[in-house]
Amino acid sequence: MSDSLQQHESSEESMEPGLEFLAPKFESEAFPWTQIMGYVFSLVLTFAALLLVINHAMAPTLLLAVIIVLALGQAGLQLGVFMHLRESRGPAWQLLPLALAFFIAFGLIGVSYWIMLFKTGVS
Amino acid sequence: MSTPVVGESQHQIPLEFANEEESLKITGFWMFLMTDMIIFASLFAVFAVYRSRVAAGPTPDQLFHLGPVILETLLLLTSSFTIGMAVYYMRKDNLAAVYGWFIATIVLGAGFVITEVHDFVTYVHLGATWHVSGFLSGFFVLVGTHGSHVTFGIMWALTLLFQLRRRGLTDITRRKLFTFSLYWHFLDIVWVFIFTFVYLYGKF
Repeated sequence: MSDSLQQHESSEESMEPGLEFLAPKFESEAFPWTQIMGYVFSLVLTFAALLLVINHAMAPTLLLAVIIVLALGQAGLQLGVFMHLRESRGPAWQLLPLALAFFIAFGLIGVSYWIMLFKTGVS
Repeated sequence: MSTPVVGESQHQIPLEFANEEESLKITGFWMFLMTDMIIFASLFAVFAVYRSRVAAGPTPDQLFHLGPVILETLLLLTSSFTIGMAVYYMRKDNLAAVYGWFIATIVLGAGFVITEVHDFVTYVHLGATWHVSGFLSGFFVLVGTHGSHVTFGIMWALTLLFQLRRRGLTDITRRKLFTFSLYWHFLDIVWVFIFTFVYLYGKF
């Protein structure tokens, strides 16, 4: 699908050196293959997680890790395919706060969960 | 696999970005979604801490039935696809197709909310209300916040549908439909984590 990725040079501002990774990209297709494949993969990821859990396919800790990885894959898919993550008029500035928000979110949840693993009665 | 759209110049950008002011509003909407993500993250953290504190109430395994949850997941995943299709056809200036996919999104979203409300009512009839245990408090606040986001999204979509009928696809209605799609996909992502961490993990 890379042939449909286009680099847009905005007339009033071109990419500053070092900010090339924020260069916006746009996709356009004659038939919505990207959307359809995105939908199919989202169903595959969901039912993979569901089947693994219903069948108790592995040890609980590993299973939790695997289904969280599947959910992260699903989030990446939604962001990349459906949310047009890299589109913008100028530099795609939303990528930076998005990375920060992911860092805060998973830091918050991960550390809260981690501290509960000690079960020392502090809670 | 794909080719540039016929009749569209190689470097033409979608109309919702072609207008500078509307483009800024899209960036602003991304910032709103980040703050909303941190709200959900804090609710997930609370749920993670309290999920094993069931007091005299039911455990997640006793309470949850995966049937309605799978239905909700299918409805929301499909609606995420349909709003993606609406944006795709918006960029092709095909207003009739935008209507079709957008209305499908609203119907699927309403189906999700109805299923979820029915699920909650079932829990309450079983005596599993949110003041019974830490687990149920965390559960109802997290999943309820998501459900109220979806409910608000449906009301937003209905007003937007009305504007599309009155004004057609202008720079402004395109930007609104695009930001609505961002909001809707974001709620789908949050639901995937609820499905995984609340319901599936509850069935371990």
